[in-house]
Amino acid sequence: MGQGADASKVIRHVFPASETGFDPAGSQDYYSGTIEQVIFETLLTYDYLARPAKLVPLVAETMPEVSDNGQTYTVRIKKGIYFTPDPAFKGAKRELVAADFIYSLKRLIDPKLRSPWAWLVEGKILGLDELAEAAKESGKFNYDAKIPGLEAPDRYTLRIRLKQTDYNLAYVLAHEPTSAVAREVIERYADEGGRAMSNPVGTGPYLLKEWVRASKIVLEANPGFRGFVWDFQPGSDVEDRRIVAAMKGKKMPQVGRIEISIIEEDQARLLAFEQGELDIMNMEAPLAPMVLDGDKLKPAFVRRGVKLSRFIDPEITYTYWNMQDPVVGGMAKEKIALRRAMAMAFSVEEDIRIVRSGQAIEAQYPIPAGVVGYDPNYRTRVKFDPAAANALLDRFGYKTGADGFRTLPDGKPLVIKYTSRPDTLGRQQDELWAKAFALIGIRMEVQKLRFPDQIKAEKECKIMMRTASWIADYPDADNFMQLLYSKNIHQNNSACATIPEYDRLYEQSVRMPSSAERDRLYHEMARIIEAYAPWRLDISRYRNMLTQPWVLGYKKHPILQSEWQYIDVEPAPKGG
Amino acid sequence: MYGYIIRRLWQMIPTLLGVILLVFILFNWVGGDPAYVLAGKISSAEQIANIRKQLGVDQPYYVQLGIFIRQVVTADFGASWSTNEPVSHILVTRLGPSMTLLVPWLILSTLISIGLALAVAYVRGSLTDRAVMISCTVGLSISILVYIIVFQYVFAYKLGWFPVQGWGDSFWENLVVYSSLPILILLVVSIAPDLRLFRTFMLDEINQDYVRTARAKGLSENRIMWVHVLRNASIPIITQVMATLPGLLIGAFLVERFFSIPGIGREVILAVERSDFPVIKAITVYVAVATMIFNLLADLMYKAVDPRVQLK
Amino acid sequence: MPYDVPHAVSPGLWTLAWKRLRADRVAMVSLAIVVAFLVMVVLSATGVIAKDWAKEVGVNYAPPSFLGPAEPAAGAAIAPAPATVSDEPTELPIEDPLAGALAAIKNEGAAAPKAAEGGNATEGQSVDPLADVMAEIKSKGVTNATAEVRAPTLPLGGDKWGRDVLKKVIKGSQTSIIVGLASACVATLLGTVFGALAGYYGKWIDDFFNWFYSVFTSIPYLLLILAVAAVLQQKGVLTIVLILGLTGWTGTFRLIRGEYLKHKGREYVQAADAIGASNSRRMFVHIFPNVSHVVLVQLSIFTVAFIKSEVILSFLGFGVPVDVVSWGSMLNEAQNELILGKWWQLAAAGTAMAVLVTAFSLFTDALRDALDPKLK
Repeated sequence: MGQGADASKVIRHVFPASETGFDPAGSQDYYSGTIEQVIFETLLTYDYLARPAKLVPLVAETMPEVSDNGQTYTVRIKKGIYFTPDPAFKGAKRELVAADFIYSLKRLIDPKLRSPWAWLVEGKILGLDELAEAAKESGKFNYDAKIPGLEAPDRYTLRIRLKQTDYNLAYVLAHEPTSAVAREVIERYADEGGRAMSNPVGTGPYLLKEWVRASKIVLEANPGFRGFVWDFQPGSDVEDRRIVAAMKGKKMPQVGRIEISIIEEDQARLLAFEQGELDIMNMEAPLAPMVLDGDKLKPAFVRRGVKLSRFIDPEITYTYWNMQDPVVGGMAKEKIALRRAMAMAFSVEEDIRIVRSGQAIEAQYPIPAGVVGYDPNYRTRVKFDPAAANALLDRFGYKTGADGFRTLPDGKPLVIKYTSRPDTLGRQQDELWAKAFALIGIRMEVQKLRFPDQIKAEKECKIMMRTASWIADYPDADNFMQLLYSKNIHQNNSACATIPEYDRLYEQSVRMPSSAERDRLYHEMARIIEAYAPWRLDISRYRNMLTQPWVLGYKKHPILQSEWQYIDVEPAPKGG
Repeated sequence: MYGYIIRRLWQMIPTLLGVILLVFILFNWVGGDPAYVLAGKISSAEQIANIRKQLGVDQPYYVQLGIFIRQVVTADFGASWSTNEPVSHILVTRLGPSMTLLVPWLILSTLISIGLALAVAYVRGSLTDRAVMISCTVGLSISILVYIIVFQYVFAYKLGWFPVQGWGDSFWENLVVYSSLPILILLVVSIAPDLRLFRTFMLDEINQDYVRTARAKGLSENRIMWVHVLRNASIPIITQVMATLPGLLIGAFLVERFFSIPGIGREVILAVERSDFPVIKAITVYVAVATMIFNLLADLMYKAVDPRVQLK
Repeated sequence: MPYDVPHAVSPGLWTLAWKRLRADRVAMVSLAIVVAFLVMVVLSATGVIAKDWAKEVGVNYAPPSFLGPAEPAAGAAIAPAPATVSDEPTELPIEDPLAGALAAIKNEGAAAPKAAEGGNATEGQSVDPLADVMAEIKSKGVTNATAEVRAPTLPLGGDKWGRDVLKKVIKGSQTSIIVGLASACVATLLGTVFGALAGYYGKWIDDFFNWFYSVFTSIPYLLLILAVAAVLQQKGVLTIVLILGLTGWTGTFRLIRGEYLKHKGREYVQAADAIGASNSRRMFVHIFPNVSHVVLVQLSIFTVAFIKSEVILSFLGFGVPVDVVSWGSMLNEAQNELILGKWWQLAAAGTAMAVLVTAFSLFTDALRDALDPKLK
């Protein structure tokens, strides 16, 4: 066992959906990413306790040196870090070097891999896009080619040169798709698509021991891991001090084995936790009232010693209207009026109270809590006001027709098509919006599409109206404000919106580091969203993580997907 | 006999072709486009075109169809589009858990149903008969969804007699600990209709002339039931059991889902949700082949049980 | 002198069947229950009862009356406070500082971007295209209706939104029974026509239908359902009826085909041929009445089966749309409610369905027995 890890200490965790595979460049879902985060390592990571999230070095010796006005990043890697043994290394101990990160970053843009994370490096690094273009022509990516944007002046130094100023590259270097992988391993185990999904070999604290797909994943502490001493500083949270007291000075990782089950049904997950079959669980909204009274644990759970780690997820849920749609889109005043009326007819309060069981707050600002650029004082001007909505529609000529529903100003029938998923949440969203439309007398139709079909239609700008969510890839506001930038249409600008004023402000904001000036720009952009209503902001959800009393030192991190290497387990016998 | 078997095997080919064609049309038309799922959060039209090229869905239809037919012949459906796991590996590993659940269930269900049907047929017309049949009907009228929700809540959670969900490593652990409650639920749902059906089959036999003759000859009721009636009723019973066997491959997907059992039924739902064509293609073809083979076996068993049956 | 020889009129199949049914007490009770449900369906469909099932009259998860009102929990259901148009967010000035300038621009119709005007570092550098209109509406002081009082308990309880479970069950019965009946009709019709054609004509027509049948039954039910659901792209109850009907005909096909094969060679058919009846006449006027009892029993079996299938369809996400309620949609909602301690929607829908399906099944059994000429 590595440095202090105890094989008898086991954490039983649960995923509500299945994983796909463990190649940082190849997998895209949250749960695969969670496993990758502990098997592989990135240059940087986040401090376990610091809030708001703070970047710290992981395999880097120190934070990167940024020079040339934010266009050059230089990082030095710690010496003496080794990959776990694998036949691909032919018996030798394989050390981690800068070239491994160059390889990983190149993989992201290799056309053969079709990595869903290509956008992390696309258009940013000198010479990289050209290499990808060449690969498309020749059919093979030249990993050996030297490019000015990715250099290793010596074995342990990495230098990245960017095409333009980018203050967010450090976040990218903390995101697990950029983890270091060993080229020999990839080449040995890659499938036709160039991905090695089933043989993860990394430098991280855990390795993959057992894997029953879509059912069970078992990780064991990596015996060759360098380990670290738990030494985080407490923040302002009272709980932090207890955590520090329990954990300080320990050699990590302590937990020797992690067993992850995949349980799709809410009831089954909760019952398993209550029976003591699970140690950590994300309490999702539908059954939260079983366990929580508002924002506190129910007394029965408190008595048992169950702990709650609760905060607002850095995500926003919003409803968008397709700005290219002939019925609801565009910049004409009566279309703006239509969208704003619909926005005013929707009750966020009911969404929170009934659909989310109180486990969410209203999203006033397009940037959620926990993200740099968040403004807790900003208040939206969009309110639940059906009377005003009706008055607005009357004013712009949306007359009530013979069937009792409003028509377009030119008399043609008006039908709004709302797209949602064929699951319980989708149905509840339908019901919420059905009530809203009933308040303003507009006919609504529901289109049921499965998630992949939704994404397809959305990228083709064919969905009229849908409620979508976006969770932070990294904790900077830009990750959210880019969602309405017109150059991102057909990618992640789900509303297919082109608002010249917004674009102008966005382009200015990209060139700024986080500052009061940038915040001012963001405030204006938020007002533009409210005024033109391509979106109606809805909520940000609470994340409620439950842990059993024998789990020590746990505090859910807003960006990191798991905390297994930072916690401990009491060796006492478990309940259930 | 052999000629018959060969002829039947030969006849499977047009059916298989029909299945291939139908699945291909259905899926290409309505099955969803996997390129968008695989493309990720932010991707350009170019990347998507790239993916479609890799998956082979940008080829003309007849080329894709040809590839599909070749895959069936070689029984190699490639790898899952979403996880890259080889399809054959998927099927082989998921088959185990599904079978651990469904084979015991089938055996228990058939034996219990036959036993109960015999008993009820014995006392036909009596109050017991009526009472049992009515309770069967009531049991039948409750949706399996309700049974799963309530049973999991009451027996696993409130009473703690079974684990709430999960699957272990050893066969015996899986069979005894994890499969018990799912099998119990499946039994409750299957015994009722089977009991009604088998009772009908047996009553049909009891009303036949040969039974009257046997009684007139002085045979005991027991012998009549066990030896004669059962033997003759076994033909429709066998048909019934055989008819359910191919369904085993898809598995009781609801039970697998609620109890997190890594079986084929659950895999099918996942594959459909992800538009994972190779997995669905493979499962469909295997079910089709299995159906045809089981039908053939059923017919052969008829002949074994009843020599009067003429196979055409 | 002509006179009529008295002879006993032998009763037809249907009369005999009816006599046998009447004697069976269980069958009569079941029939009465089924008829009662059908009456409820008619009343509900015509809007006489349960018309306002969608109205939120109770508090969220209102308990049934016999249990008494629930204690107020965190986030208890109080109707949202009415917001008047004059409500302003307190922190920041909401009036557009450029409103005056906007009035001049408003005639152009388009929103013109404004560069940062000097001095004012707060919000609203950009233009609100509707600023003038909104100001006008505010000045009129339009107010929202005050919320109604919500009942603390309801006869059979309330659902998540506070809708009356009793009314939902009645309306849901209407939907589920109609779905069951309609899809049973479609499936039976298809199966009968296909079976008749295959059994009667034989040869290559029979081969074709058999081929079609085996192809059809080889495809997993789930895939078939998704395919039909996606192809139809319709909304509503019609989709479900078609999904169930188009995928469920296979059993009837086999049965009817067997019957037609049996009857084809019988004397009365040959007689019909002798009098010059056309094929279709022979199929549907002569043979069909002799197999109609099989068809009727199939119809009832399917009704029951499809009512149950609708529940599974709801679980898979292909249930009724949002403005329609059915037993399936209620059971689907109730999935997570049991563990929260709210058992009444599950109980109501489950019981109603159990009662109807049991009654229908028992009646079908009795009908089948009554129609079977072999039974004495």
